[in-house]
Amino acid sequence: MRARSATLLALSQAALALPGLATADGETLQTDYLYSRYEEASLPAARSASGSASPRFRIDTHLLRASLAVDDSNFGLDLNYETLSGASPWFILPDAEGRPVQVMSGASIQEQRTALQASWNRSLQTLLDGLDASATLGYSSEDDYRSLSGGAELGFSPEGRQLTYTAGFSYSSDTLQPTRGASSPTVIASAQKRSHSLYGGLAWVLGPETVVQASLSYLGNSGYLSDPYKLAYLTDTASTTADERPDGRVAWALTGRLRQFLPRANAALHLDYRWYRDDWKIESHTVDLAWYQTLPGDWQLVPSLRWYSQSQAYFYAPYYRRERADGFASSDYRLSPFGALSGRLAVSKRFGGWLLGAGVEHYQAKAGYALGEVELENPGLVQFTSLDLRVSWQF
Amino acid sequence: MVMKHRLLLGLLMVPLASACSLQPVQPWQRGHLARPEMAWEPDPLLAAYRRHVQFSKEAATGGPVLGGGGCGCN
Repeated sequence: MRARSATLLALSQAALALPGLATADGETLQTDYLYSRYEEASLPAARSASGSASPRFRIDTHLLRASLAVDDSNFGLDLNYETLSGASPWFILPDAEGRPVQVMSGASIQEQRTALQASWNRSLQTLLDGLDASATLGYSSEDDYRSLSGGAELGFSPEGRQLTYTAGFSYSSDTLQPTRGASSPTVIASAQKRSHSLYGGLAWVLGPETVVQASLSYLGNSGYLSDPYKLAYLTDTASTTADERPDGRVAWALTGRLRQFLPRANAALHLDYRWYRDDWKIESHTVDLAWYQTLPGDWQLVPSLRWYSQSQAYFYAPYYRRERADGFASSDYRLSPFGALSGRLAVSKRFGGWLLGAGVEHYQAKAGYALGEVELENPGLVQFTSLDLRVSWQF
Repeated sequence: MVMKHRLLLGLLMVPLASACSLQPVQPWQRGHLARPEMAWEPDPLLAAYRRHVQFSKEAATGGPVLGGGGCGCN
């Protein structure tokens, strides 16, 4: 099996998922729609500085994808529209026993995000047999955030070999223009952020039912990497200070993936693992396990389980006694040490050229799920449930 | 903690170890490998959505995936 880009997979496998869609010649238009309702559990009263439970985010997402296959090329267009409302963690106070309790952002946040991404893939077998190329260009806009991104990838499967080589890069240029709290001296008016990534991978066909892939990714971020909407608390002065992070971040990720088909069960086992390390001293492990069970009557059932663990950034603390000598401060739960478990169940059914599906996922972050010992759990760790519905059809 | 690391490494080494006894898989033997559920991402639309959620809630990111810009996610 050739390891292709996510974009190519988006185009070709979505097409293959529908019976009779993979035509040998001519043009094929495939469209997919996904709706998701994401809802975070309220912050419990016991973890809240106010002493009462506080509602958090709810996000409605609409994703629409259209892909057109013409000869050796695939063109894709993705539209993403999401609306967000609720409150987010602001800063953390110690209670009377020194236990960290969360202060949430006061006013309810209302935001929209619109993103558009175009993708293209083409076989380059006229240049070299087994070579293909992909490219993407995307734009994302929120009330306070703009992002322009792009990337390219090459895949090469030598004739008669069991290996596929993949290499790619991505780039993103982002602009932040905070709207909430813009009059506060701790909130910047405007800032820039740049991100780039490089990756290379190798896929092996180990047998008629087994394929594995290993890849190495390099990620670089520079510019304003702080969160303008978060603060950190200083106990010595009983005051807050702005979230302040280094203006550069370099990370490495090593990923391994296994796909094993089990003919007797008519099912496929997916096992993914990722190791991550960055120069903010965060180390992370992720294991994803999924079982794709094909059932009679064109039904498919997919239960999956994901475990995630990360250590903390070297400058993170739930709260500080006084300012650090390097000036950095962040109490963001995303930089804290924690682990997370999530379970998902999805079901889908084909009706001729149509595919209907639904899924539910529950995610819970806890210090107890982390790989190492966690001294103080961040009170803002998230717990959410996500429901999704999807429709795919062809013209 | 060391035991957990070793367990993870062991899980990853199983498929790699079996690569030592590789027999070439002929094109006519690849029917199962070509099935949609054997893809790296059988549902790219959902995979992109889940990656976006994880990206906005966790510190670690990255992998052999093309595309995707930043967001002001809180």
